[in-house]
Amino acid sequence: MTVAQPETAKYVYGVVRSEGASPPRGAGIDDVPVGVVAHGSVAALTSDVPVDFLEAGREELLAHSRVLEEAMEGAVVLPMRFGVVLPDEETIHERLLAPYAEALEAQLQEMDGKVEVTIKGIHDEEAILREVIAESREIAKLREAIQGKPEAATYYERIRLGELIAEALDDKRAAAAPQIIDRLVPFAVDVRVGDPVHERMAVNASFLVERARLGEFDQAVDRLGVELAGRIQLKYTGPLPPHSFVELGAGV
Amino acid sequence: MATQQQLPYRGGSGYVARSSSSGLYDVLELILDKGLVIDVFVRVSLIGIEILTIDARIVIASVDTYLRFAEAVNRLDLMQTETQGLPEMMEDITEGGASKKTKGILQGASEALFGEDEEDEEEKEKEPATKRRRSSSATAKRRRASGGSSSGSSQRRSKSS
Repeated sequence: MTVAQPETAKYVYGVVRSEGASPPRGAGIDDVPVGVVAHGSVAALTSDVPVDFLEAGREELLAHSRVLEEAMEGAVVLPMRFGVVLPDEETIHERLLAPYAEALEAQLQEMDGKVEVTIKGIHDEEAILREVIAESREIAKLREAIQGKPEAATYYERIRLGELIAEALDDKRAAAAPQIIDRLVPFAVDVRVGDPVHERMAVNASFLVERARLGEFDQAVDRLGVELAGRIQLKYTGPLPPHSFVELGAGV
Repeated sequence: MATQQQLPYRGGSGYVARSSSSGLYDVLELILDKGLVIDVFVRVSLIGIEILTIDARIVIASVDTYLRFAEAVNRLDLMQTETQGLPEMMEDITEGGASKKTKGILQGASEALFGEDEEDEEEKEKEPATKRRRSSSATAKRRRASGGSSSGSSQRRSKSS
């Protein structure tokens, strides 16, 4: 990889407005400077990568994220998903900027002044298990039946117990998620609810928030955090570029 | 409350764990799953990343998870009155919140992704932002804790081991 490659391809980070577009100060993948490829009113943020750039890890993911984060400081940016590499500048025009110009333009307009914030909520293990035991006779009885007996002798009962708990947690999630989301939606423009990526995850949602209302949104999260303390731990990530709210419509 | 309208969010109450986009771990899902994409040009592959985005959902409904839940409820009465107090929660928050406590999928995925040389890298790379160092050291801490050191978090860890 350190051998100088005469041939390069173009990694694409995101799309910005051409007018006043300036590349982020920081470098991109492999410390290569980020440039702007403009086409009419829209432009791509790109940097050169080796033609054989096929595998990536932590450094590259961080670079992608860092470039977008810097870009969004000064202007609206539509983030690309990680890993989009086009052969050359020509192809960026032909396959991205020209055919999708209208869709990109419309989304730049729509996303201007807005950021994404993700809110994840994880049930506190002890608190939620106590709740589940208290609310289900079946779980409580099964637990008592198993208590003190050797693990090997109660293998299937344990699995059954765990399965019942997993189901109960599903119900808990179904109940908790809308309550959390409903409290934050009034401060957001849009919301996308994702799948749980953890067994005790109560909510995993992305909110599109106007920068001007970020303070209000944050205060709402804070109030919720206090109310849920000890039961659900909230985790706030952002402000981020609007990953969850952009898409390429049909090209021309 | 009304005075800090324009200030960036700082998790004022201390009850909400916060991370910026520089915490790779927290934005992984978004970077890999969301955003504009021209499918034929997604050429870069990431080894080990699928664990987080796909396997996590399967693992939730696995026998291992069931057994872990069963073990967790069995343990409960041993600490009947010793419920989690505020100081311990604060520690959780400063060390990365919920993710620290949850042994299993997420941690496994992050280790698979970041690899075992995390701590070496941490020393080598003095330059990166403090946010990133924070996330590295939290991961390292988790690993050390699971190895059975005497840090504050090892008590919690030992309960689940």
